[in-house]
Amino acid sequence: MEVNPLIGVGILLVIAYVFFYLPQSQIRQILVFIILSMIGYALVITVAEMPAFGALNTPANNLVASRYIEGTVGETGALNVIAAIITDYRAFDTLGEATVLFVAIAAAISTLKTH
Amino acid sequence: MEDIVVRAVSRLIVPFIQLYGLYVIFHGHLSPGGGFAGGAIVASSMILYGISFNLEAGSRKLSHDLSSLLESGGALWYLLVGLIGILLGSNFLANKIAGVPLGTPGQLLSSGIIFLLAMGIGAKVASTMVTLFYSLSGGEDSDGNRT
Repeated sequence: MEVNPLIGVGILLVIAYVFFYLPQSQIRQILVFIILSMIGYALVITVAEMPAFGALNTPANNLVASRYIEGTVGETGALNVIAAIITDYRAFDTLGEATVLFVAIAAAISTLKTH
Repeated sequence: MEDIVVRAVSRLIVPFIQLYGLYVIFHGHLSPGGGFAGGAIVASSMILYGISFNLEAGSRKLSHDLSSLLESGGALWYLLVGLIGILLGSNFLANKIAGVPLGTPGQLLSSGIIFLLAMGIGAKVASTMVTLFYSLSGGEDSDGNRT
């Protein structure tokens, strides 16, 4: 659906005005209720657009999942598909996770100064 | 905490939790679990020891030197295992493509670098959780220094 970008900017300006500049009053409460209802309605219709659980022909059921299930034992020698994904197919991503742990604990120790 | 029941039960159960955690780490490629889950189980046994006995006694079990060794050793171990792939003439962290022997699927010593990486991740996660717990559990003395 084509939407003029100016409409979106205008809506954002109205929301920002209501939330940040309008003084506390009955009108503000009504406007906040209307805006939150609209946001909630948008979220609900987005969820309603999602494919049904377990439906075929969705991104969750494409070739990648079956490739992992069928090829894991032959390609990695592991029986646990998840372990094969996180430490073989996506091992570089797990290196990043380990680095995140390292940085987090280094920051916590340097901030709290225990031991 | 001065509770004889909690102390007796945790004294009995801590070794079994640690054994189970090591089992989950070393069988990460065969059964549900892996480095992250097993490391968390091992760490939870140490945290149980700390809260059921004494926080100071618990923090002495894993000293600062040992935890920093586990912490940086786990990351370095991960990188060194990843370099195996480059030494064998392939990409970083490559497993079968680099020619790492995979062994028989289902055996304990199989799946190439997955088994080795899980050990590094397990040590790292366990030491991170324990250190974080003892860092946050300490109180403050009258001068405002954390104990």
